[in-house]
Amino acid sequence: MTIQECYAALEGDYQEVLGRLYSDALVERFVGKFLSDQSFQLLRDSLDEKNFEEAFRAAHTLKGVTQNLSFTKLYQSCHEITEALRTKDYDLAVRLFPTVEADYAQTASAIQRYQAG
Amino acid sequence: MASKRQQRCTILIADDVPYNRDFLRAILEDMYDIIEAEDGEEAVKILQQREQEISLLLLDLNMPNKDGFGVLEDMNKYGWIDRVPVIVITGEDDSNFLKRAYDLGVTDYLSRASNVEVIRRRANNTIMLYVKQHRLAAMVNEQIYQKEKVNNLMISILSHIVEFRNEESGLHVLHIQTMTEILLKNLMRKTDKYKLDRETINLISNASTLHDVGKICIPSEILNKPGRFTDEEFAIMKGHSQMGADMMKGVPFQNEPLVKYAYEICRWHHERYNGRGYPDGLAGEDIPISAQVVSLADVYDALTSERVYKPAHSHEKALSMILNGECGAFQPLLLECLVESSDIIQREMAVDTIIRGDQRAMENTAAEMMQYEDLSTTDRTMRMLEQERTIHHFFSAVSQQILFEYTSTPSMLTLSPYGAHCLGLEETTIDPYHNKHVQDIANLDQLAELAQLLQGTTPEDPLVEYNCSLCINGRIQPVHITSRAMWSVEDPPQYTGAIGKVEECKKKEDIQ
Repeated sequence: MTIQECYAALEGDYQEVLGRLYSDALVERFVGKFLSDQSFQLLRDSLDEKNFEEAFRAAHTLKGVTQNLSFTKLYQSCHEITEALRTKDYDLAVRLFPTVEADYAQTASAIQRYQAG
Repeated sequence: MASKRQQRCTILIADDVPYNRDFLRAILEDMYDIIEAEDGEEAVKILQQREQEISLLLLDLNMPNKDGFGVLEDMNKYGWIDRVPVIVITGEDDSNFLKRAYDLGVTDYLSRASNVEVIRRRANNTIMLYVKQHRLAAMVNEQIYQKEKVNNLMISILSHIVEFRNEESGLHVLHIQTMTEILLKNLMRKTDKYKLDRETINLISNASTLHDVGKICIPSEILNKPGRFTDEEFAIMKGHSQMGADMMKGVPFQNEPLVKYAYEICRWHHERYNGRGYPDGLAGEDIPISAQVVSLADVYDALTSERVYKPAHSHEKALSMILNGECGAFQPLLLECLVESSDIIQREMAVDTIIRGDQRAMENTAAEMMQYEDLSTTDRTMRMLEQERTIHHFFSAVSQQILFEYTSTPSMLTLSPYGAHCLGLEETTIDPYHNKHVQDIANLDQLAELAQLLQGTTPEDPLVEYNCSLCINGRIQPVHITSRAMWSVEDPPQYTGAIGKVEECKKKEDIQ
């Protein structure tokens, strides 16, 4: 699997990220780092514990990282849940989480397949 | 390349997310040294310790334990924001955040989704702008300080030559300078009749050190005669004021205010307010204020110093003698200044040494800097420098060790108070290689060998361990000297002197 195919599978915008980062190597390196970022797990756990402040920070971080990498689809769902948490609409946030979870799973699986070669 | 030896600039990245720090590091580390802070609190701590070495802060807004705004507020509170530029990098697109960050003094506000090249360029431009501004400030600062230091040094050398010939300690000129400054400052508060300002006071007190320069023309048999002068000898002695004035007229810088004041002081510092002084018998306000003040300072220092023919009088005794007119008449307003400044005069005269003189130069430079509002950073550098000096003086004063500092130009040895006590030397010795007291306690060949070893070191490896013998507390004994050569930052580096510590060799004592 190539990096372009990976971006297609996770519904991101490869041309956009390459336009900003200029080098394939840099894109590949930070796509690889994405899975070690713990923001998604933190978001899930914080919502479980109803620690919405922590959940906001985690969602916000995940949004920033996906924006940086142009993971368009996951970025979009992160953006929505971040805004819900910011406006303290916690019911909405909880309702939005499954979408985030699904998009994250899609993204993670695409990256894992890409890393497998 | 000229900049090869220059250090790379350091960027502090404050972000709680490892991914974000890694990303910024990856795109910047080829050009900059990077320090990372994992939250706002750590960022503030790092700024507190290393503000001087940080050229740029890349700041995230959303952080636990003090967010980005908290960091910015602290930076404003401590004044770091004036020196360390900040670029916010955030995923936050709320325009209120953006406005608040700019209001708190950030230089730029970038999105996480910024083009990598934009981040690099903005970082570089911001650093260059600040670096240029600070180089400029440092340059101005250095020049003002150097100028004043060289001026003072030259005047001080000249007046010490006079003192040296006069077989006096060298403290006299410093006392006169200190007294002149204190009296003028007091006078400035009392009246604006003399149009005194800080700069004028500075010039007059510098010029005061030249008051006896004419004595260089007096034959030394007369100058240093232990007994009373004959009338003829006294007439020759009195000639020193006119001769000093002639010298000042002869120098080619007649438009310099310093020379003008030096002329007045040399010529008229033995005039008296009632017209009964010499050489011209001027009276009242015909005597320039510079000369009036110096003559009062001169009389006071003569009274409070020990001379061959008399012991040192106390401050109180000197004061009452002057007020009773036993030393001639002075302007009543000046006598008021003298009385009012009693405390400060006693305090300053007690601590006055060559180092104190240098400290005053620093204070004056610092004060001069305050006039340049835009250079507040430089002023802070000066304050830090002064603070460093204070710390150094304190540790040196309380240390029960023989510590020394040697500067090669001018050749000067400074000892810790304890060291001076043990070795029976003054804390400051000018030209120690030719000083009789130094020759008494040390073997000059050994000192010369030590100096040679130090000069043979390199800035990278400046340490020298040396064994020799010294006379400590009146007893010649083997000592071990641990010393470090001081090299300038110039290219190529210049040897500027050495610092070190002297320890008695305990082993020998054990054997005894």
